[in-house]
Amino acid sequence: MSGFLGSSSGVPPKGTHHRDPGLWAWIFLSPLILWLLLFVIAPTAMLTLVSFAERDSLGRILWNFSLQNYARAFDWVWLKILLDSLFYAFLTTVICLALGYPAAYFIGRAPERWRGFLLMLVMVPFWTSFLIRTYAWISILSKEGLLNSLLISAGIFSEPVSLLYSPFAIVLGLVYNFLPFMILPIYTSVEKLDNAMVEAAYDLGAGPLRAFSQVIIPLTRPGIAAGAMLVFVPSIAMFAITTLMGGGTNPTIGEVIFKQFTAGRNQPFGAALGTILLFVFILALWLARSQRERED
Amino acid sequence: MKKTMRLLFTLTALALGSSASAAATKNLNIYCWSEYIPQPIIDQFAKETGVKVTVENYASNEEMLSKLAAGGGEYDIIQPSEYVVEALVKEKVLHPINHSKIPNLKNIEPQFLNMAFDPGNKFSVPFMAGTVGIIVNTDLVKDEIKGFSDVFKPANKGKIVVLDDAREIVSWALLSNGLNVNQVTEKNLNKIKPVLEQWLPLVKVYDSDSPKTALLNGDVSLGVVWGGEGAILLNKNKKFRWVIPSEGTHLFIDSLAIPKTAKNVDNAEAFMNFILRPEISKQISEEFPYLNPNLAARELMTKKQLENPASFPSDEEMKKMQIFKDIGTRGSDVEELITTLKAQ
Repeated sequence: MSGFLGSSSGVPPKGTHHRDPGLWAWIFLSPLILWLLLFVIAPTAMLTLVSFAERDSLGRILWNFSLQNYARAFDWVWLKILLDSLFYAFLTTVICLALGYPAAYFIGRAPERWRGFLLMLVMVPFWTSFLIRTYAWISILSKEGLLNSLLISAGIFSEPVSLLYSPFAIVLGLVYNFLPFMILPIYTSVEKLDNAMVEAAYDLGAGPLRAFSQVIIPLTRPGIAAGAMLVFVPSIAMFAITTLMGGGTNPTIGEVIFKQFTAGRNQPFGAALGTILLFVFILALWLARSQRERED
Repeated sequence: MKKTMRLLFTLTALALGSSASAAATKNLNIYCWSEYIPQPIIDQFAKETGVKVTVENYASNEEMLSKLAAGGGEYDIIQPSEYVVEALVKEKVLHPINHSKIPNLKNIEPQFLNMAFDPGNKFSVPFMAGTVGIIVNTDLVKDEIKGFSDVFKPANKGKIVVLDDAREIVSWALLSNGLNVNQVTEKNLNKIKPVLEQWLPLVKVYDSDSPKTALLNGDVSLGVVWGGEGAILLNKNKKFRWVIPSEGTHLFIDSLAIPKTAKNVDNAEAFMNFILRPEISKQISEEFPYLNPNLAARELMTKKQLENPASFPSDEEMKKMQIFKDIGTRGSDVEELITTLKAQ
């Protein structure tokens, strides 16, 4: 995460010296480089290699070069599932931003002695396993669950409504699980926000709305961009929440890839879908980056 | 950075630890289904024999297959279903078992021995069997349900839970068309596609792990589920009724087998024999009420357990059941068909 945030904050400030990294720098960097090689570069390379292979009836990989997996992958079905997943991820990001920004802003502007405590409150639910949290939502949202009994006893509904196993439940589950990834980076930006700038905006005659949209938002943009990426990218491929809370009726791209790797006994095809998804990620990151560079 | 360092240290420690323990001989590495072998039973085996048992779980046959095929893990016991035993025998990746080490095999009902997927039980011993059937919440569904065609009716839209298993779903459609569950050809898949096109939009939940949850919570009123799940629902509440589909259904037999790569064959055979002991097998049935093929264990079970229709189908119902054969690379097509229809 720190590497990601570091790269998103852009060009180094003017006046910093550019030096070649010395031996010590490489030694200190080596665990990180090793980590990247072992857990990012190597698996990605393997995935790409496998996507060009074939498999036998037990699902073992046969190393014959073939493009058939890609030929099969460019089909409307998979594209539609990918678009659906992108849509859910987009919706999740927008809702997380709408909910997370005010929360992060409030925490970042709170008296310093409160900030640690408030941040801890954001993190507390995440001390338990996400499966347990998801099952908790299932028991809240189910027809004989907590929410329905509350709404009925309050007289708002006369009979239980189906909340679980719907697109609503999918987005709820995603927002709930990824909200901290939006709040934390925005909080770091808000905390660094120079109060003098905001005061200057008011002094120069800006109303609260203008000060917010033209001063505060641009100054916290790195946090927003990092938060949006941290929510958007993992939401696309998340499948455990979508199957458990969505009932599996709207397949997501993550679920489809998982099933080709397992029940389909077709790792090469799953790998091809995975590689395509990877390109979508790279494209999204590259677009976001070039957009930022143009603005700078 | 600090975290990375710590992680690297942990990983190194793990690597060292596993290579050190591989040298010991009193080990048994079990790779089995999740929620199938109760922990107290594993503990008892460890205590009796002094063997150090490690258990890893999988959630589907194919998950196990892909790990086995990739050469990951050195397992001494695996727990494949019948069609996977067939494939593993065909590919010659199982270790033949020594029957003299497993005298308790005599406890198994003859109809579960010497089956087509492993003639003479050269490579596998039966663990549990079971079926797939229809469970109905009679408080919410008043129509009579006899088979798949009564479940998948427009009136039941949004009230159905089914197993999240493409092969299963396809086999129900094949049965409804009077075909055998193993006639998974391209022609037949095209033939059943219109049926599935009508069925799948009616489904509210796909869940293979715990389909009983949606039924217990009242989110759905009927479902096509594993017999063991149905048996638990029948025990929990009288409002549930179990129906063996009139079109026929699928009988599965989960076995224990030893991969060729196993390091502790003796311990694995001892474990097989231990599992087939009547009192142990009975304990497993208490927790996971599937069709227990162990006759000696059934003698120890209560009348209520034996009369649960979801655990123990009648002889007549058994005759209508079909056993899955391995469909090899067709699995991917079956998966694609169901995904395509779900996404519409």
